[in-house]
Amino acid sequence: MARPPQPPPRPAQRGATRQSQNGPKKPAWRTQGFDFKLYLRQHQAFLVESFTRLIGHPLASIMTIMVIAISLSLPGGLFVLLKNVQSVTDQWEQQSIISLYLFPNLEDTEALSLSHQLASRADVASVEYISKEEGLRYFEQSSGYEQIMSTLPENPLPIVLKVIPKAIVDLNTLPELQGLRDQLQGLPQVEHAQLDAEWLQRLATMISFGQRFVYAISALLVIAVLLIVGNTIRMAVESRRDEVLVMKLVGATNSYIRRPFLYMGFWFGVLGGLCACLCILLLSWWVSSPAARLIELYHAGFELQSFNAVEIILCLTISAMIGVIGSWVAVSRHIRDIELQ
Amino acid sequence: MEIEFQRVGKKYESGHDALSQVSFHLRQGEMAFLTGHSGAGKSTLMKLIMMIERQTTGQILVDGVDLRTLGKHAIPYHRRRVGVVFQNHQLLFDRSVFHNVALPLQVSGADDDQTGKRVRAALDKVGLLGKEKLNPMALSGGEQQRIGIARAVVNKPQLLLADEPTGNLDPRLSSEIMNLFQEFNRVGVTVLVASHDLALVARMRHRVLTLNQGRMVNDGGFA
Repeated sequence: MARPPQPPPRPAQRGATRQSQNGPKKPAWRTQGFDFKLYLRQHQAFLVESFTRLIGHPLASIMTIMVIAISLSLPGGLFVLLKNVQSVTDQWEQQSIISLYLFPNLEDTEALSLSHQLASRADVASVEYISKEEGLRYFEQSSGYEQIMSTLPENPLPIVLKVIPKAIVDLNTLPELQGLRDQLQGLPQVEHAQLDAEWLQRLATMISFGQRFVYAISALLVIAVLLIVGNTIRMAVESRRDEVLVMKLVGATNSYIRRPFLYMGFWFGVLGGLCACLCILLLSWWVSSPAARLIELYHAGFELQSFNAVEIILCLTISAMIGVIGSWVAVSRHIRDIELQ
Repeated sequence: MEIEFQRVGKKYESGHDALSQVSFHLRQGEMAFLTGHSGAGKSTLMKLIMMIERQTTGQILVDGVDLRTLGKHAIPYHRRRVGVVFQNHQLLFDRSVFHNVALPLQVSGADDDQTGKRVRAALDKVGLLGKEKLNPMALSGGEQQRIGIARAVVNKPQLLLADEPTGNLDPRLSSEIMNLFQEFNRVGVTVLVASHDLALVARMRHRVLTLNQGRMVNDGGFA
């Protein structure tokens, strides 16, 4: 075999050598066009491939998915509970009343003119004037203390104005009504103003407490899912170490090697989220009949709510994102660490 | 592709000098053997060309481009231009012969049509055309080595590196493999083969680079 012929002179490459001394340059072979269609097709292939891999190890995959599902269904279930409590109060369409107890020494005429004045306010629907005598009658009827009352030398009750605000009381209008109550309390003729929505205030406090509780639990469980996905993916990378090495050897970029694992995380997230949604729907269905009886007892016109379509999509989106982020964190570190030797 | 080493040294973190003051110039379209006792630095030299390791001193020019100027992100693109047959990074047994050979094409984003054509062409060259659907496990050692070669050339690299490609093959298969490399060289591919099989190397009658304890002790003559 003869020695290879002398290479012809290559002025361009010699030039390239000199160029490199002048400043940074990009080798010509690195400039390649970006083919978007190809990029999409590759992603599609990875999506399918990673799903096939998941099915390839059914038991391990199912266990991971179930752990994710359980971790996600807890905050999801609490969310549904909270939603129902809120909807009970929202549907409670009740006219609230602010009772104004006027000073006892106030004259009837002054009280009446105050009553008219209040009735003309924009945020007040009507004002009911309850004279001292009427008040006494109500009191006797409702409390059964006629005898005691009749022994009193004079009527101890003040004139009461029952102010009915235009706004229906619920959690949204509560601050507004409380503002109105405070305003009326400030009137010189009013000794005491009472908004009969104390229970609602308590409920509002409880709901805001419940919300924070749900947020905290959700945050913790989201972190747990991130760790679960991260760990599962890390093990998947480890089990495909040889493949990663060969891919690096034949010139795969880190992002290319990362991609199937990100899709795997995506599938774990989506499937875990889907199972969580199923769990929640199943749970809602399971409690629906006792809940219906409970509602019947209270004659409340509301229906038990579960996840609606928007919330299911939201849940799936969030869980998919958690899956991708969890695997991203695990994979990026790990693939950098696997180096050819 | 041409490769130029200029007083290249590689010191590992352990303090071991794998290569020192190595200089040589492999021209476009040349074929050469790299010999030396085990531990002489043959593999290290190959790894430096593949940018698996980085030299500690000196300069390596590949087609006139100083490898030190290439950042981490350029490494994959550099490797796509080089076909390698490495002992310890061989075949993946979870996929068919076809998909083993197709890997470099998939990695660089070739479409399916082209992948199919190129993989079959590469398999044809190494004489394994009928076995693309088999698992590499089902093939003999010599055939597996040829799958590795097909994978190395499927991307039409301008440089082919082989590290002990005949390591555990009998003499007849070994010279078959060497003849394959020679054929690729004939169509213009620069070829560098590391081998300690001196008799075989001598028979091939190509340029021989000999390393001894990290130093280039012979360059040019037939061993």
